[in-house]
Order: sequence, then C-alpha cells, then structure tokens
Amino acid sequence: MSAALRAGNSCRVTETTVILALVVITALGFDFTNGFHDTANAMATSIATKALRPRTAVALSGALNLAGAFLSVEVALTVTNAVVRIKNANGTPKASLTADGGEALLLIVLAVLVGGVVWNLLTWLLGLPSSSSHALFGGLIGATVAGLGWSGVNWNGDGSKLDGVIGKVILPAVLSPVIAAIVATAGTWLIYRVVRGVAQRFTDTGFRWGQIGSASLVSLAHGTNDAQKTMGVITLALIAAGDWHSTSSIPWWVKVACALSISLGTYLGGWRIIRTLGKGLVEIAPPQGMAAESSSAAVILASSHLGFALSTTHVATGSILGSGLGKPGALVRWRVAGRMATAWVITLPSAALVGAATWYLAHLVGGLAGAAVIVALLVAIAALMYGRSRRTPVDRTNVNDDWHETQREGV
Amino acid sequence: MSNLGFALAGAWKVLAAGLVLGAGLPVVFALGIRALAFGAGGDAEVNGSRPHRIGTIMAYGLFVIVVLGVLLGLTFIVASGFGKAISFEHLYPTVIDK
Repeated sequence: MSAALRAGNSCRVTETTVILALVVITALGFDFTNGFHDTANAMATSIATKALRPRTAVALSGALNLAGAFLSVEVALTVTNAVVRIKNANGTPKASLTADGGEALLLIVLAVLVGGVVWNLLTWLLGLPSSSSHALFGGLIGATVAGLGWSGVNWNGDGSKLDGVIGKVILPAVLSPVIAAIVATAGTWLIYRVVRGVAQRFTDTGFRWGQIGSASLVSLAHGTNDAQKTMGVITLALIAAGDWHSTSSIPWWVKVACALSISLGTYLGGWRIIRTLGKGLVEIAPPQGMAAESSSAAVILASSHLGFALSTTHVATGSILGSGLGKPGALVRWRVAGRMATAWVITLPSAALVGAATWYLAHLVGGLAGAAVIVALLVAIAALMYGRSRRTPVDRTNVNDDWHETQREGV
Repeated sequence: MSNLGFALAGAWKVLAAGLVLGAGLPVVFALGIRALAFGAGGDAEVNGSRPHRIGTIMAYGLFVIVVLGVLLGLTFIVASGFGKAISFEHLYPTVIDK
C-alpha cells in the first residue's frame, strides 16, 4: 500500500520493504515445507494399507488442508506470545523493536524462518517425522536469544497458567505422543477383539472406509491449525514494517497465499516421511490404520478444545506406534521409533542453533545485504539437500516397498 | 501450581476424551462391521452361517452413531475456525461464542 509512496522519502523504507518481501517469501516457503512434512500424519496409514492410492491420498489431504486453512478466521497473532517476548499483550510488536522502521524485528523473523525451513528439509531428507511447530519455535527461541538476549525468551511462565517454553512446547511434546499411543493401543486391541470371527477380506474393506474418514478429519484439523501459524508470522512482519495495523484481522492475500502454500506442499507429499510412518514404524493393517487415525483426530481435537497446544506430528506418530502395540503379535520397529524420538529431542535445540547462527550472520553483514545473504544461503542449502535426495528417491511408486531395516534409508 | 501440574491436569482430560471418542467410536464401528458380517453370513464370517437380517439393521444403527461422532468432530473444527466453541452443558452439544 503506502510502502511505495513512502519509498520516495527515505531509502531506509525501501530497504525495509525488500526485507519484508524476503520474509514473506521465506514464510511461504516454510508453510510449504510444513505441508509436505505433515502429509504423512494424516495419510501414511491410508497409503500403507492401500485404502487410498498414493496420488489420491495426497490430493485429498491437500484439498482438505486448503479448506481447513480458509475455515480458520481467528487470528493467530498471539501464537508466539507464550514463548518469546517480542510483542505486547495485544499482539503488536514491542516499540523498541520497530524503532528503526521494523528492520530489527524483521531480521529476527527472517532468521527464525530460515532455521525452521533448514531443519524441516534436513529431517525430510532423513525421512524423519519431526514437528514443524517445534522447528518454528526452536528458530524463534534461537533468533530471539541471539537478538535480544536470554531474557527475551519466556522459559517457564509465571506459574499462573500453562505458559512458556516448558509449558507450551516441551511438556505437551512429552505427554501428547504417550496419550495418543494409549488411545490407539486401547482402540486397536478392542477392535481386534470385536471383529474376531469375521473374515479378513470383509474387515479390511470396511476398515479402509473408516480409515479414509478418520484420516480426512486429521487433514482438515491440520489445515486449520498449521496454516494459521504462518499467517500469524507474516502478519507480524507486516505490522513491524508498518504495512498493516489491525491485530484482529489479517490481509486476505496472506490468507490465500498461506492456504495455497500449505496445500500445495501437502499435495507434493513428503514421500520419505510417509514411507517411514506407513511402512517403517509398524506393519499396518486397515483396522490398525483406522484406530491410529481416529486416535490422532480425537486427541488433536480434544486438546485444541481444551487449549492444550501440541504438535500433529507427535500425536500421529504416537498413535501409529500404539496401533502396533495393541495388535497381538504385530511388528513394531523400536529402532525406527528410537530414531524418531531422537529427532524430536534435538529438533528444538537444533532449529534454535540454526536460527541463532543465521541471525548473527545477518546482523554481522547488516541490513538488506544481511537479509539477502541468509536467504541466498537458505536457497543453496535447500538445493543441496534436494540434490542429495535424488540419490535415493522416494516417491509414490516405491513408497510402499517392503522395509528392510538393514538398508540405509535417506542418506 | 507449576507448569507440570497444569500440563498433567490438561493431559488426563485429553486422555479421557481421546479414549471415549478416539477409541470408543472405532470400537462402535468395529461392532458395526461385526454385525454386518453376521447379517451377510456366508464367507463374510470365518465359520460361515446363514444371513441374519437383524445383523444388517444393527450394523446400520451402529454406523449412524459413528457418523454422528464424526459430524461432532467436523462441527468442532468449523466452529473453532469461526471463533465459536462447542458446549456440552445441556449434554447434547450446542455451538456458543467463545
């Protein structure tokens, strides 16, 4: 809007506008990686049991994510408030951070996003279902500590409610997979008791339909939850640069761009992660698939109803593990589960380190040049990882191949 | 109360709701499949018997319960997207302002 007009007044503003554009593009890139990282959460089991053909599964999930993103009209501006102290209570950025035309805050946000995207791409390359929210929060913590010091992060809240890094990020991450696993174990065990005596061909057909329904719910819930996070980040950046002033609404183009970005990512499908979750962790039959997706849908919806923030990825993985525990004699690959657990533990600190390092680099170079350098670095790293992934491609044609634990998955 | 206390207080509610909806509904669905097989008879069951009409009727009754559960989930997603919440104070769910 007025950015172009103000550009004539000082070159400072032009510089801010270009950095803002970089932030928006990187944020949409993060949303895209968020989409393909999480296709597996909803669709891995349906693909593994052949309830849906791979291409149909990702198309359905993409469409439901798109619908979900448009369904959420609530503003997620306060999404970062529980973790870092860069904003006032109403969601506007602190005045001290926007004093120089918003550049200080924009650099932090850009470093956050670069940290998140790099971690999402690395875990995708390794076929590990790590949490995109943790990657974002990790980057946020790292870049904030680098930019504002340790006191810029809200570590433990003030004891009046569930708050801070520990309350909003770490505790839910520990508890939610356990809850999902218990629910899925109970569901799977009971289902197999109930259908004893029914021909397998008959149960498989029935449960495939149940699986499609429950997986669709997970996709829709994912669209409403995850697209909002990026919408909130972009709107924060727009406010910091003075291009948007409302804290109760977001620009329509932000909503459209984020919705398209996450659903396109979902449609592309993170096949490496789908393979790990659908074939690597547990050998899944349709009744287990339905139990797992129902557990995920119920736990995600119940916790957002109760305001208990959690990661879709952690819930989905816990559920799939539970569906293996609940079926007598089912194969659970604990080594794969261990690798996932390790990835979860290191996601937050690793994304934080990347976010912090990125911020220092941008700060050292300074201003627009700094922002350009870290975005260029991100593009180079992304290209490198994509090239690496082509050595052992995983796509819809080989996603369901038998899993051999001795073979080296990923890199 | 500390963060851990708040987290555990929320966790058991999520667990309870998860068990009722996330494990309960699939079990109702499984009962529906069981009844459907009983209704179909023949090779739908391991020890094939003759078809029972009552089984088919029961199956569709059970599937209706599952569909209602799914609709509740959908209502919740859409309602919270528009800043509303679902209240269970009248036992049956109603959409209210947050």
